[in-house]
Amino acid sequence: MKTVQLMIASVALSLSLAPLGVLADTSDKKIALSNNYAGNSWRQAMLNSWQKNGQQAVADGVIGAADAFTTAENQVTEQAAQIQNMILQGYDAIVINAASPDALNGAVQQACDAGIIVVSFDGIVTAPCAWRIAVDFAAMGQSQIDYLNEKLPKGGNLLEIRGLAGVFVDDEISAGIHTGVKESGKFKITGSVHGDWAQDVAQKAVAGILPSLPEIAAVVTQGGDGYGAAQAFKAAGRPVPLIIMGNRQDELLWWKEQKDANGYETMSVSIAPGVSTLAFWVAQQILDGKTVAKDLVVPFLRVDQHDLEEKLAKTEKGGVANVEYSLIDAKKFLAEM
Amino acid sequence: MHSISSLFHHTLAKPWIWAFIGAFAVWLATIIFTGGQGAGQMLTAALSFATFSVIVGIGQMFVISLGPGNIDLSIPANITLAGVVSMKLMDSHNEMILLGLGAALLSGLAVGIFNYTLIRLLRIPPIIATMSSSFLILSTAIAYGRGLKIKPPAALAEFTTTHIYGVPLLAICIVVLAFILGVMLHRTVFGQSILAIGQNPRAAKFAGISVEYVRFCTYLLCALLASLCGYLLAGFSGGASLNMGTEYLLASIAVVVIGGTSVAGGFSNLPGIWGAALFMFLLVTMLNTFGLSAGLRLMLTGIIIVGVIILSTRSKQPS
Repeated sequence: MKTVQLMIASVALSLSLAPLGVLADTSDKKIALSNNYAGNSWRQAMLNSWQKNGQQAVADGVIGAADAFTTAENQVTEQAAQIQNMILQGYDAIVINAASPDALNGAVQQACDAGIIVVSFDGIVTAPCAWRIAVDFAAMGQSQIDYLNEKLPKGGNLLEIRGLAGVFVDDEISAGIHTGVKESGKFKITGSVHGDWAQDVAQKAVAGILPSLPEIAAVVTQGGDGYGAAQAFKAAGRPVPLIIMGNRQDELLWWKEQKDANGYETMSVSIAPGVSTLAFWVAQQILDGKTVAKDLVVPFLRVDQHDLEEKLAKTEKGGVANVEYSLIDAKKFLAEM
Repeated sequence: MHSISSLFHHTLAKPWIWAFIGAFAVWLATIIFTGGQGAGQMLTAALSFATFSVIVGIGQMFVISLGPGNIDLSIPANITLAGVVSMKLMDSHNEMILLGLGAALLSGLAVGIFNYTLIRLLRIPPIIATMSSSFLILSTAIAYGRGLKIKPPAALAEFTTTHIYGVPLLAICIVVLAFILGVMLHRTVFGQSILAIGQNPRAAKFAGISVEYVRFCTYLLCALLASLCGYLLAGFSGGASLNMGTEYLLASIAVVVIGGTSVAGGFSNLPGIWGAALFMFLLVTMLNTFGLSAGLRLMLTGIIIVGVIILSTRSKQPS
C-alpha cells in the first residue's frame, strides 16, 4: 500500500514538475475565501492555514490575491450577499466553506454564470457548477467502531456524543457510528447526547446523563468534545473510559498526560483544518486550465497511540492537529483521485 | 408604588415556585425511569451547572427589570473575553488567582461601560447596541486569545469543582451572592429604583430617581456578573475556549423568564432563577436519559418550557 502510494506520488511529482514553468498563468488571478464562521479553534486554524499559504503564494507570484472573508453571524443570507460582493469585486475564483449545502446555490450559480470558479470544502454546496472537496463523515464515524472492535474485543456499552442537531455533518457521523455498531453486534449505545462540538456543552450534557448510565466501555465522539467528556467523568468520580478524541490540541494533550500516567490508549480522528489550503490549490489548478473532477473526497487525519507525541508536538497550543497542502501535495492529491 | 415589605412579600408569593416544581418533577421522572439510579449525582451535576446560568441570569434579570427594550445580548462574548483574558494572565499559576479575577472583572467593567456608552451617547436601542458590541468583544477575545486553551490554576480548578457532601462549593458561594443581590434588589434604594423605572420610567424620573444613572449601574452590574461567570466557568471546565459563552445567551434569558420575572420589566424574581436553572438542566438530562431523538427532544423542551411559563404567569397576582 505504502509503496503504491509512493509510486503514485513520485509519478505525480514528476508530472507536476513539467507545468511548473507555466505557473505564471495564474499570477494575475484573484482568489477569495468565503467563510461562514470563525468562533472555534478548528475554524481559527483553518483561517490561519489559508492566510499563511495564501500570503506565500502571492509572494511567490503564483497568484494575484488570496483574500479571506468571514461572515459574522453564520447566516445564509449574509454569506449569499458576501458572495455577490465577491462577484462584483471581480474575483476569478471563490473558495467557500458554506453555511448551508443548498441555500447558497443561487449565489453560487450567479458566480458561475459570471465565469467565476467556485470551489467548496468542508461545508460544501450542491450547485452542479461548483467543485466539492468533501469529507466522508460516515466513514469517519465507522472508523471509530472499527477501532473499538479491535481494542475492546468483548464489546460493551457506548456513550455517543453527537454534534449540533440538524446539521448534516452530525447526521452523517452518527449514521456511520450506528452502522458500525450494528455490523459489529458487540456494542450497545446506552446514551446519546448533543455536545455541539464544544467542550463546555459536551461536559454539561455528559455530566447530566452520566448518573443514569451503567458502566461505559467507550465514548464515541465527533471532535471538539472529548476533553469535556473526560472532565465530566472525572467530576462524577467514575473511571474514565476509552474516549475517542477529535484532534484538538487540548484533547491530545490530555491523552498524552493519561498515557504517561497510566498507559491510557485511544485514537483521535477529525478533518485537518488545512483542507482550506487544498481548496486554494484546487482553485488555482482549475484557473490554470487543469481538468479537475467536480467531486473530490479528502482523507481524514487520524492520530494513533504510536504517533501521538509526534503529532502533538506539531500541533499549535490551542489549535488542531493539521496537515497543510502545498501545490505539489495538491497535485499529488488530484493525481490520486 | 409598593411599600418595600409588600413588594418583598409579593415577589416571594408564588410565581417562582413553579420553576422549582418543574425541576422536581423532571428529576422525579428521570429517576423513576432509571429505577432510582444516580438520583443524588444528578442533583449534584444540576447544581454545578445551574450555578453558571444563575450568575448570568441574575445580571440579565436586573437589566430586563428596567423595562421594555432593555436586554444584554453581549453576555456570551463577555463570558468568553473574561475567560480568555484571565486564563492567559494567570497562565496556570496559583498565586495569580486574585489578579486573574481582577482582570476578568476589569474586562467586564470595560464591556459594561462600552455597552452603556453605545446605548446612551449614540442612542442605539440596547438590543442592537449589545448585539453589535458582542461582535467587537468576541473579535477582541479571538485576537487576544487566538483559540489558546490555557489550563486554569490548580487551586481555581479545585475551588470550582469541589463538593461538600455532594453540594458544589461554588453553588453555595453563588447562593450567598444571590442572597446579597436579592437584598440589594428589595432593600436598597438602587434596587427599588430599578423596579420603579421598569414599572414607569416617567413616574420614576418625577419621583426624583436618576434614571440614567441607575440604568448605567445596572448594565455595569450585568456585565460584571457575566465576566465573573466567564472566570469561574473557565476554571470549572479546564480552560477558556472561544465558544464557551455561546449557550449562555438563551440560557440567561430563559432562566429569567421561566423564573417568573416579568419580561415587561418592573417585577423581578430572584429565587425563581435558581429553580429555572435547575429545571433547564434537569429537563435536558431527562430527555437525554429517555433516549429520545434530537427532533423530539427539542420539541418537548419547547412544549415543557411553555407549560411552566404559562403556569407561573397564571399564578402571578395582579399588582
